Amino acid sequence: MTASDMLALLPLLLIAGSSVAVLIAAAVGRNHAVAFGLSLSGLAASFCSVFFVPATQVTALLDIDGYALFFFGLISAASFAVALLAYGYLRNRDIDKEEFYVLLLVATLGAMILAASSHFASFFLGLEVLSIALYALIAYFGDRPLPVEAGIKYLVLAASSAAFLLFGIALVYADLGTMDFARIEHILAANPNPNLTLLLPGVALVVTGIGFKLALVPFHMWTPDVYQGAPAPVTAFVATVSKGGMFALLLRYFAQSGINRFAPALLVFTIIAIASMLAGNLLALLQSNVKRILAYSSIAHMGYLMVALEVGGAIGASAVVFYLVAYFIMTLGAFAVVTVLSAEHRDADQMEDYRGLFWRRPVLALVFTAMLLSLAGIPMTAGFLGKFYILAAGAAAGSWALILILVIASTIGLFYYLRIVVILYQQPGDANQPLPLRMPAASLVLAALTVILVWLGVYPSWMLQAIHTAIGSLL
Amino acid sequence: MLGLLWLIPAIPFASALALAVLRFPRKVVAWIAVSSIAASSIISLLVTFSFLHAPPAGNAYTEVLWTWMRVGDFRPEIAFYLDPLSLIMVVVVAFVSFLIHLYSTEFMAGDDGYSRFFAYMNLFVASMLTLLLANNLLLLYLGWEGVGLCSYLLIGFWYRDPENGLAGRKAFIVTRVGDTAMLIGLFLLFHDLGTLNIQELMQRAPQHWHLGAGAAVAAGLLLLGGAVGKSAQLPLQTWLPDAMAGPTPVSALIHAATMVTAGVYLIARTHVLYSLAPPAQFAVAVVGAATLLIAGFSALTQWDLKRVLAYSTISQIGYMFLALGVGAWPAAILHFMTHAFFKALLFLAAGVVIQALHEEHNIFRMGGLRKKLPVAFWTFLIAGCSLAGLPLITAGAFSKDWILWGAASAANGSMGFWIVALIGILLTSLYTFRMIFLVFFGEMHSEVTKKPGMAMLIPCIVLAFLSIAGGYVKTPFAHFLETALPWNAAAAGAVHISEIGSETVAGLVFLLGLVLAYVLFLRSRSYAASLTDNAAGAALHRFWFSDWGMDWLYDRLLVRPYAWAARIDKGDLIDGFYSGIAELNVLAWRVLGLTESGRLRWYAAGIAAGSIIYIAVVLFL
Repeated sequence: MTASDMLALLPLLLIAGSSVAVLIAAAVGRNHAVAFGLSLSGLAASFCSVFFVPATQVTALLDIDGYALFFFGLISAASFAVALLAYGYLRNRDIDKEEFYVLLLVATLGAMILAASSHFASFFLGLEVLSIALYALIAYFGDRPLPVEAGIKYLVLAASSAAFLLFGIALVYADLGTMDFARIEHILAANPNPNLTLLLPGVALVVTGIGFKLALVPFHMWTPDVYQGAPAPVTAFVATVSKGGMFALLLRYFAQSGINRFAPALLVFTIIAIASMLAGNLLALLQSNVKRILAYSSIAHMGYLMVALEVGGAIGASAVVFYLVAYFIMTLGAFAVVTVLSAEHRDADQMEDYRGLFWRRPVLALVFTAMLLSLAGIPMTAGFLGKFYILAAGAAAGSWALILILVIASTIGLFYYLRIVVILYQQPGDANQPLPLRMPAASLVLAALTVILVWLGVYPSWMLQAIHTAIGSLL
Repeated sequence: MLGLLWLIPAIPFASALALAVLRFPRKVVAWIAVSSIAASSIISLLVTFSFLHAPPAGNAYTEVLWTWMRVGDFRPEIAFYLDPLSLIMVVVVAFVSFLIHLYSTEFMAGDDGYSRFFAYMNLFVASMLTLLLANNLLLLYLGWEGVGLCSYLLIGFWYRDPENGLAGRKAFIVTRVGDTAMLIGLFLLFHDLGTLNIQELMQRAPQHWHLGAGAAVAAGLLLLGGAVGKSAQLPLQTWLPDAMAGPTPVSALIHAATMVTAGVYLIARTHVLYSLAPPAQFAVAVVGAATLLIAGFSALTQWDLKRVLAYSTISQIGYMFLALGVGAWPAAILHFMTHAFFKALLFLAAGVVIQALHEEHNIFRMGGLRKKLPVAFWTFLIAGCSLAGLPLITAGAFSKDWILWGAASAANGSMGFWIVALIGILLTSLYTFRMIFLVFFGEMHSEVTKKPGMAMLIPCIVLAFLSIAGGYVKTPFAHFLETALPWNAAAAGAVHISEIGSETVAGLVFLLGLVLAYVLFLRSRSYAASLTDNAAGAALHRFWFSDWGMDWLYDRLLVRPYAWAARIDKGDLIDGFYSGIAELNVLAWRVLGLTESGRLRWYAAGIAAGSIIYIAVVLFL
């Protein structure tokens, strides 16, 4: 490993280093602000390092290319936002706080490894680093039943799906003798008629492992329970960073390993896309718990992403990445609102908590409205353009059936987003609701997210340019 | 200097945003709101200076900020286009908006929704300026809907009275009818010509369509639909009188000086299209002529000061449409400008009177205010003379005589239009002086309870000056507009009257109206009363008073049958189809919900079953 390799790993090293620093600082003396400050500076430094780190392949495991660096930036920025949300959330609760940041940083590291993996070994490594930190994060409030239940469910299911994944990797390795994505492509390209009886089931099992993390149908059933049980900032993390890192890996795997040449594999992706879009939106339809609604809606959003993934090529890849960016913004925004409104002993996840929010906190209600409209794909928001690019990619590839289902599913989705919006503006029913706590850091996050949401919605050129450069190294 | 163009709409928009989101003390609110519009006006003047000093190539300047999205030929840009036409409109709108904002700081001083009011007003100005500067019809449409939204919000500003909310909704729905027509027009233009960029459209239209082509006529009529909605012309004028429910500065700014002239601007902007479609242009002239008469008669019968002014606005915009329709393009724009000055002033002065008399709107309960409110009286008198067209002195006379002359002498003009325009002058003079005599002369009927302050009087005085001086620029004005909007004259020999002759007749008719008003409403009221004493007179009065029964007609013809059809057709097949879909969705939700049992073993089984299914798919399909 050379010095330039170490430099290329800088974004990862900074995160890893700051997690150790927080750990040591907590051992010396517990201080919430110190742990928070160290984490923020680590994440910020990692974000800044992305702009001057040279793109190289580091060993066979990690490909630190423009694509990986783009996701490093996105993931560290999202974790930065989550840390800001968590600060206000934790400060008002009676619990040890420092470990939260250690776990958050480790999980971030895992997601980044996923985004850079070009090999099944680093893929599995990144997945486990991410998952193990998440088990603890989800059940961070160990004295409450819901988080513990969510944590155990996540632990059991993630572990068993990881076993499926490992077995799938073993099958691929048994067939081709390699776990390197680029070499898989190389072997498949050289041999037009490979033996598929081991390879394709292997791919299907790998999809199981990936599908679990992304909550694609039928591996999605954990989502609502975990979203509901986890503390709101952790839910935001699970929804964005964890899924984003995994989707970055999936796109790389799909583009580089050449498995998209097999019609049966594509068929599986199509089935998953259709089932996820429809099931996600239908499940959310009359749900009364906001966190569960957002969980179901995330299933549908992953389904939309699968549509663009299947198109492939530059147009599909850029649609995927743009949608992921938009999805990060609006999902973080929605959970930031949930975080801000949460009371000390209970997260604000009931529909009733939002009734008449506009009359109590107009700005917060408007921000939530913007996020929900973006999730629904209304123009002038990033979510609209994201969906638009997916549709354009699908149309370019001629996948009309998928597009039709995307449109139908979005229409169903519109209903439950608007249901929340309507509740926001109704007359408040219960006048003596406790005033939520003030969280300046979270307000900052919300303001920044809203600005970016609209900015991307009306002026997306700069982001498209960045995405274009990033995916250049991928294809 | 021209590069500053984007700031003209951007500053009011930023200020609207700040006022909507943040809380400020009242003083700061007023300061932010007024200074943002002042900044816009100053920049617009700088831009004008730079434009006149060093005219850009082709006498037009385009500033492309960015491209919103790119799909095939559809590349809507966020871009501004400045030519003599948009320049004049922008300067007038920015400047009049500034004066009205200044006036509002005092007028609205006691109101609870101070910050909300100015947020709406600034947003309105930003939208209006976007509408005027847009270089493509999509951005124009954004501004178009933006001003519509602000109009709705400001008509219903005092929303605690349900009447005001209803008036706001009426305005929104009626204009929506027109907007829909306009939207279809945009689709048609894009479909046939492949662009929404206004200048490209104007270049391509003559290449693709021959004179009088069906598509050109259809596009012209559809855009006219949008214009009559926004500009309150026949048959969609019914919303404007009710819109007077809003605060008076709103009526002055939105429902007199600026927004309602958006339709005039739209037609002027796309005048090449109308030149290609003579039937559509003729329709514009007919709409204008009919509206100016009908609204003129209605204005004669109103007792609410603001409603008289509202009908007068409809009638004056009718003049602008008439000018557009006959091809006297620059006359329409000059009348827009002078009308913006004097009509804004009439409303502002009326606001002073109404506030002074403790929210009294009825002109028959006013009277004799000449002495008590001298500034209001003199400015109202000047604006009124300008409206009625006092010859040689006032701005209104210059623009209206120009339209009158155009009605006879422009390409599509005829003596018929000339006579209609002349009758309009008589009506205008009559209702204007009826208003002035009833409000400011005669005996006092109400006590003055509040004297206006400087913030309200200064805008009135400045506008009074402009209501006179605005007309003297006619010749340079026409010359400046030449490149963007040339006068379309008729062939020599087709005109049966000279310009001087037409102006002389107009002056005499103005005098006739003044004398009639004096006799009927100042000398002896009994003359006026005797006119409506008999059954026929009373019926006619009622008919005109109710805006020629239009509201009644629309209610019977459209609203009630529609509501009736909706009621009896509740459970038909199509409805059943859609509720069936909804129920199907709920059913699917119920069934899928069963899978979310919360049981861990079931979830794990789901994962296992999923993998098995997918392995089966890849192996056996």
